[in-house]
Amino acid sequence: MNQNTDLLTLRSVSKSYGTVPVLHDIDLSIRDGEFLTVLGPSGSGKTTVLRLIGGLEPLTSGEIRLDGQDISRMPINRRPFNTVFQDYALFPHLTVSGNVGYGLSVRHIQRKEIARRVAEALDLVQLGRFADRFPAQLSGGQRQRVALARALICQPRLILLDEPLAALDLELRRQMQVFLKSIQREIKTTFLFVTHDQEEAIGMADRICVMEAGHIRQLGTPHDLYYKPNCEFVARFFGENNLVAGKLGPIQGELRSIETALGRLVCSISNQPHLKAATDGASAYAAFRPEALHLADAKDTDNRFPGTISDMAFAGSSTVATITAGADNAAQRLRLRVPSRVDGSALKSGEAVSLSFAPHEGHLVLA
Amino acid sequence: MSKADSTLPAERRLSLLVTVLAFALPVIFVLVPLAIFLGYSFFSVDQGTIVYGLSLGNYARFFTDPVFLPVFWNTIVLCVSVAIICILLAYPAAYFLTTLKGRWRYALLMLLLVPLLMSYVIKIYAIRSILGLNGFLNKALVALGILQEPSTLFVFNMNAILLTLTLLLIPFAVLPIFLSLERIPQVLLRASDDLGASGLQTFLRITLPLSLPGVASAASFVFVLAIGDFLTPQMVGGISGFTFGRILYSQFGTAYNWPFGAALSVALAVVVIAAILIGERFGRNRGISV
Repeated sequence: MNQNTDLLTLRSVSKSYGTVPVLHDIDLSIRDGEFLTVLGPSGSGKTTVLRLIGGLEPLTSGEIRLDGQDISRMPINRRPFNTVFQDYALFPHLTVSGNVGYGLSVRHIQRKEIARRVAEALDLVQLGRFADRFPAQLSGGQRQRVALARALICQPRLILLDEPLAALDLELRRQMQVFLKSIQREIKTTFLFVTHDQEEAIGMADRICVMEAGHIRQLGTPHDLYYKPNCEFVARFFGENNLVAGKLGPIQGELRSIETALGRLVCSISNQPHLKAATDGASAYAAFRPEALHLADAKDTDNRFPGTISDMAFAGSSTVATITAGADNAAQRLRLRVPSRVDGSALKSGEAVSLSFAPHEGHLVLA
Repeated sequence: MSKADSTLPAERRLSLLVTVLAFALPVIFVLVPLAIFLGYSFFSVDQGTIVYGLSLGNYARFFTDPVFLPVFWNTIVLCVSVAIICILLAYPAAYFLTTLKGRWRYALLMLLLVPLLMSYVIKIYAIRSILGLNGFLNKALVALGILQEPSTLFVFNMNAILLTLTLLLIPFAVLPIFLSLERIPQVLLRASDDLGASGLQTFLRITLPLSLPGVASAASFVFVLAIGDFLTPQMVGGISGFTFGRILYSQFGTAYNWPFGAALSVALAVVVIAAILIGERFGRNRGISV
């Protein structure tokens, strides 16, 4: 499994239901052996991408290539992909082993061989003891694992997962995330995971593809998406963020200044050539994470501005301060996050403070 | 507090009344008549008057007289055949209905159910005119050259009863099968495709087993309706098409032997209850009803 070769490529794929377009000219490459998460709000077209790849629906235009060969018209039962459906779609009249072995038995594989591989797959998902139960006798998490075993027993080139954790409660969801990731490492199969939950995406994915309104907004590692969002949508959607509008100013090496209501701010543009290429005076946002914002001390000369703490909210491991900064007619609401301490925070509601963030922790997105 | 005290008893009285009615109505209108019937089956008739003395004579006659058991058995075979033919014809129709989209599906379903709105007797007359020696079916077969001359194969005999009952009862088979097919989540069929199954494999391994509860209730519906029918055999069966229902009818009518008729009804009721229980047994599929 070489993570640098492309397993599956979508080329200018579009999809419309009647006259309603849901996907516009999508280009996407899935690498062999990776865990790729498609993340987006509901209605972004993420599930449609998965259904098109799985063959559950025909394309409107464009093509899907597997190992360089066009499979756009290949019928669903011929595609070497298997899907884990959102509500698991287990066959209620078959036992756990009947469900898991289904993909093998329709291929007329010998009974003994099926029994051996079913036992193997059930061991992998830790359900060996439940082989003779019916789906109705299982808990949500167990059904989830049956669905996974059923999909991976056919040794597909790609496993498609359609929000498979959405129906589980929080604790179980976290366990399943770890479990899914470990299985993916073990069997080294490519996973395409669709979700609207960022935490899920960050926790499992090698790469994340952020979608909005039928377009792919950004594709990259969770780290890239978090620290180098390429547009306002990703900057706002992916994690908490502070965005301050302004006009781009001159470049100084790996930094670029931006004139905002909070004064001149300086942000990093390293490895982002499109920000280097943008003209002076172009509309943009300075973006900095709540955990990057802090009370200014004498060392902080850049990105220094006054503000007033309007609210403090305890959120468990961290405490979030809401801050009003800038002149009255252009007041900005910012968020500042600090680790919680048992003796409370040094910050007080109503207090006037001086704030700052390090230039390399700020980034720019074009408006 | 005092207000609650005054309203509660009234509410309670109402709910008590509803509860009593809910249990009393079926008891009065179903169980009591059945019990009276069962009681009658132990009486006997002497010169046109009913003798109210308990005896097992009626049942002994049913089991020993060479007339009744063969007719009883033949009738069961006939009704099982009707049920099987109805299922074989209704299943493809119901399946076809589920492949239709939206409005068409229900429009066609209604069309299939329209015969239920017509009078039973009129339908039988209509079928008689199709089946008769000079009926539409014979004329058509002769005209097509399949037969040299009109056949007596389906004129006033068991075959005529079989055909007529099948035609009359098909709607009762289509409906439960259609409902069970419609209840199968589409995603299960997609999952089967996704796992590599062909269309035929998906049908045989997923659709068919999941629709069996509907098939079972359709079969028991049709069987029960067919075995209780005496009018159809009476009208299209002629002399050779003698069914248990006709014997029963004659005991209450011409023979005027209510106790013996009651005993025969009890025998019929046993078969009907067995059919319903079997249908129920297969209708409840382990995994499906959680």
